[in-house]
Amino acid sequence: MIIPKLALRNLLGAGLRTWLNVVVLSFSFVAIIWTQGLYKGMGDQAVHSMIDVEYGGGQYWHEKYDPYDPLSIQDAHGIVPAPLKKMIDNGQATPVLITQGVIYPSGRFQSVLLKGIDPSQTIISLPSGFLDFEGEELPALIGSRMAKSTGLKVGDTVTLRWRDAFGTFDAMDILIVQVMSTTVQSVDEGQLWIPLKKMQELTRMEDETTLIIVSKDAVNPPADVRGWEFKSLDVLLKNIRELVEVKTAGASIMYVILLLLAMLGIFDTQVLSIFRRRKEIGTLMAMGLTRARIIGLFTLEGAMHSVLAAIVAAVYGIPLLIYFAKEGWAMPQAIDSYGFAIGEKLFPTYSAGLVIGTTLLVLLVTTIVSFLPTRKIAKLKPTDALRGKLS
Amino acid sequence: MKRRFFLNFCFIGIAVIGIAVIGRAEVPSGDWILKQVDENIGSDNKIAVTQMIIHGRRGSRAIKSKSWIQGIDKSFTEYLAPPREQGTKMLKLGDQLWMYTPSTDRTIKISGHMLRQSVMGSDLSYEDMMEDPQLHKIYDAEVIAEETYLDRPCWILELTSSEIEVAYYTRKVWVDRERFVILREERYARGGKLLKTTEVKETVRIQNRWVPKKIVFKDVLKSGKGTEFLMESIEFNANIPSYIFSKAALRK
Amino acid sequence: MIKFLFKGLVRDRSRSLFPVLTVMFGVMLTVWLYSWIKGAENTFIESSAKFSTGHVKIMSRAYAENASQIPNDLALIGIEELLKNLKKKDFPEFIWTPRIRFAGLIDVPDEYGETMAQGPVAGLAVDLFSPRSPEKEIINLEKSIIRGRLPEKPGEILISDEFAQKLNLEPGETATLISSTMYGSMAVKNFYVAGTVRFGIAAMDRGTIVADISDIQNALDMEDAAGEILGFFKDFMYRNKKADEIKAAFNLRYSDEEDEFSPVMDTLYNQNGLADILAMTEVFSGVVVGIFIVAMSIVLWNAGLMGNIRRYGEIGVRLAMGEDKGHIYRSIIAESLIIGCIGSFLGTALGLAISYYLQVKGINVGSLMKDASFMFGEVMRAKITPVSFIIGFFPGILATLLGASISGIGIYKRKTSQLIRELEA
Repeated sequence: MIIPKLALRNLLGAGLRTWLNVVVLSFSFVAIIWTQGLYKGMGDQAVHSMIDVEYGGGQYWHEKYDPYDPLSIQDAHGIVPAPLKKMIDNGQATPVLITQGVIYPSGRFQSVLLKGIDPSQTIISLPSGFLDFEGEELPALIGSRMAKSTGLKVGDTVTLRWRDAFGTFDAMDILIVQVMSTTVQSVDEGQLWIPLKKMQELTRMEDETTLIIVSKDAVNPPADVRGWEFKSLDVLLKNIRELVEVKTAGASIMYVILLLLAMLGIFDTQVLSIFRRRKEIGTLMAMGLTRARIIGLFTLEGAMHSVLAAIVAAVYGIPLLIYFAKEGWAMPQAIDSYGFAIGEKLFPTYSAGLVIGTTLLVLLVTTIVSFLPTRKIAKLKPTDALRGKLS
Repeated sequence: MKRRFFLNFCFIGIAVIGIAVIGRAEVPSGDWILKQVDENIGSDNKIAVTQMIIHGRRGSRAIKSKSWIQGIDKSFTEYLAPPREQGTKMLKLGDQLWMYTPSTDRTIKISGHMLRQSVMGSDLSYEDMMEDPQLHKIYDAEVIAEETYLDRPCWILELTSSEIEVAYYTRKVWVDRERFVILREERYARGGKLLKTTEVKETVRIQNRWVPKKIVFKDVLKSGKGTEFLMESIEFNANIPSYIFSKAALRK
Repeated sequence: MIKFLFKGLVRDRSRSLFPVLTVMFGVMLTVWLYSWIKGAENTFIESSAKFSTGHVKIMSRAYAENASQIPNDLALIGIEELLKNLKKKDFPEFIWTPRIRFAGLIDVPDEYGETMAQGPVAGLAVDLFSPRSPEKEIINLEKSIIRGRLPEKPGEILISDEFAQKLNLEPGETATLISSTMYGSMAVKNFYVAGTVRFGIAAMDRGTIVADISDIQNALDMEDAAGEILGFFKDFMYRNKKADEIKAAFNLRYSDEEDEFSPVMDTLYNQNGLADILAMTEVFSGVVVGIFIVAMSIVLWNAGLMGNIRRYGEIGVRLAMGEDKGHIYRSIIAESLIIGCIGSFLGTALGLAISYYLQVKGINVGSLMKDASFMFGEVMRAKITPVSFIIGFFPGILATLLGASISGIGIYKRKTSQLIRELEA
């Protein structure tokens, strides 16, 4: 017990020099936790809103559905199979019918994806309720990006042309009943949401659907339904998770540099301590302390920087990080066009794992760096040391 | 469309003969009229040189082509101008369409999604061109009015599809009461919205037959002036060797 | 005097080498971090800039209005002349390069030349073959080749690997592009598949081809035409103010509001809301760099403190020999200045060297993950800017000086009476 006490006293005794090191090290702490929290928050928020607005608890896709192949969409629809029908009836899933259409804003045609959704669904947080509309025209819901690229706004009508299941042309004026602002680009760009029943009728695809979104709370959705493929969240979110991983990995080089700098200070301090305190070392040896214990003492002194740094970091870091987690960081609108569905504000998430992991990492690195210069002590003869000689 | 175009004007001459028979006072049934129209189409070999004038935002382009047509099933078209299109050939056999371009030496079957593309940037799709020209087989017709169009007395027929798989659910056609030629056509969506119009602007008499000299085709939902067809020459009862209607002929 | 100090520094390693190394290391880390963050700032906008917006982009007015539809019928005509003017006369400080984006079908023939497989494709046409084309640098094709090689002569294309596999298409085989010309006719052209690439963006990997622009101009009847002309700063660093100036100058000279086909320029900043993203990354990197410079200054200050503590004995002797306190203080300051300068100079040089390496080579963070090799978004690069040259230098000198001057104050506190005892110790 004597050694830790001694180490602490020595450390505090060094005054300003110790505190300077501690402050730098505490910067590393806070900066690492803060940026990692931002990245984690970014990933979490993106995943969360995609689940919320688009994916639900996973989706069943018609076997011919391929979101990246616009040519195949025309054929990707079928009657909802019985087990899934049951889920829909129980409010555990909602169907979405997709087909292609063309709209003619200001005389130039533009291809759109026509998506039919039940206005009363509650499976995803898409504001489908706006489609519950009494009137002559066909109500449509679009996202803000779509509104921008087509120049459409609430109350506008635009001609929509599509082909039904038998290839017959149909066209109708549709009324934009709502422009939704969503962070999820993939329910917005190039898409037009209309009431499912009406769409099934208009496209002569009665009771048919392209995909079925399962509720987040659904327990054990059937794994195998003939002609339909279940896409779990792991599959659906693979891309976005990879993207977050890449971004996080890219940030790690920053931590390396920051830690290197802090370690430069610690290393310097250690080398100086050993140089200055030769006599002390000699005395300790003369008092019967083994070299290993002396090395331990010096290493501990160095390593304790990180403990002090953790405390200092906590003093100013915790309020700072809490402030950020609460207030969030305002994000520019366009960020989601990079596939990150973040929203207006980014709220960093700091997990216990992140804090503990960072602390352990800093502690470990500090200990190693503190230990390195102390190896000199092992070679020291007590007599030389007492005389202040350093071999 | 090119197809329809020929079909539209080819029956005219034949039609003239039957005209006298029909009394003016009594309006014949729509189906009968439509059948007359269809019967006047095809059943003949023709070689025609036409120009298609496409109006774009950047100005107009003229595309010249020569077509060999046999009945309603077979046609072969070779593009003559502009130089870029020269040598491109198209073959229609029944409901199949192939295209050959000399620069690639490839014969490409136009199917599926490609059928919906516009032909040479015009207001027509390949699909419009591929449509079965015999309207009476896929539509029920009813005379809904009489009107004078292009100084010609016409019946206006409303066509409602009798088959499930048709592109246009309803159409309105203006049929010349004496020549049994369609002078105007409107194509509608299932919901009743007007999609495309065809208007004959000028007719001429060639080899004792009435032939539309100029047709304007327009996709009404799109802004623009539409696409014009001009008949430069046509030869009826032409002698067409049968090898022309083969894929091998595309490469020649 | 300086010569004398310098000699002292060179001969006493503990006085010279160690402090210089410390300063050097600290400055090097600063330069490295700064350049890295400047590079990272760019990654958010880099793929946008390289693949779609450029630093500035010229389109026809009509094309710009419907840019999301890629309306090649509204493309710019007469680009040779325009490019010549841009490069030689108007804005030679920029790199100018024409692009055509297009959509179509890829059709794979069987042995009889009949269609065997077909799929929808998005295309990017860039200048691949001109000896002075900047495109190889801009879109990093070489790195993203999965199979085969880069196109070497006209008529050769790259195709996304996933798409090629779906079509059963191997490098060395022929594929036909079916698209429409600028005037709407069907365009058909055969291409030799030189290689396959991976872009790292699902939508692109599902079906993209990269072709040479002259091939596509030829195929799409776009002689002397291009959908877009992208302009880049020569160092590929975006500077908004300059870009705005160029935009204003260009539009004044070339753009005519009455003519919908006259060219119009826009900056990266104004496209796709990139302005906000840039502003955000700048705030973020500013915060990080600020923290780091403070941290480095503290470390070097501390090192300066410690450097003089180490020389406690020496100073004692010098005082005992009757040297003036002020003289010792000044010599210590002068020494620290020399150390600061040498250390900062070496550190900056080393930091720049590392940054330059990372700017050229980059670090493939994608390789940290399994089965991932991307064309962009994964290779992170440092970016050397003019600020990189000074960001570490001055803090390096100042912090060393600060450390020495604070610790040097101790000299004035020393009493001669204590000196002998200290020397005995």
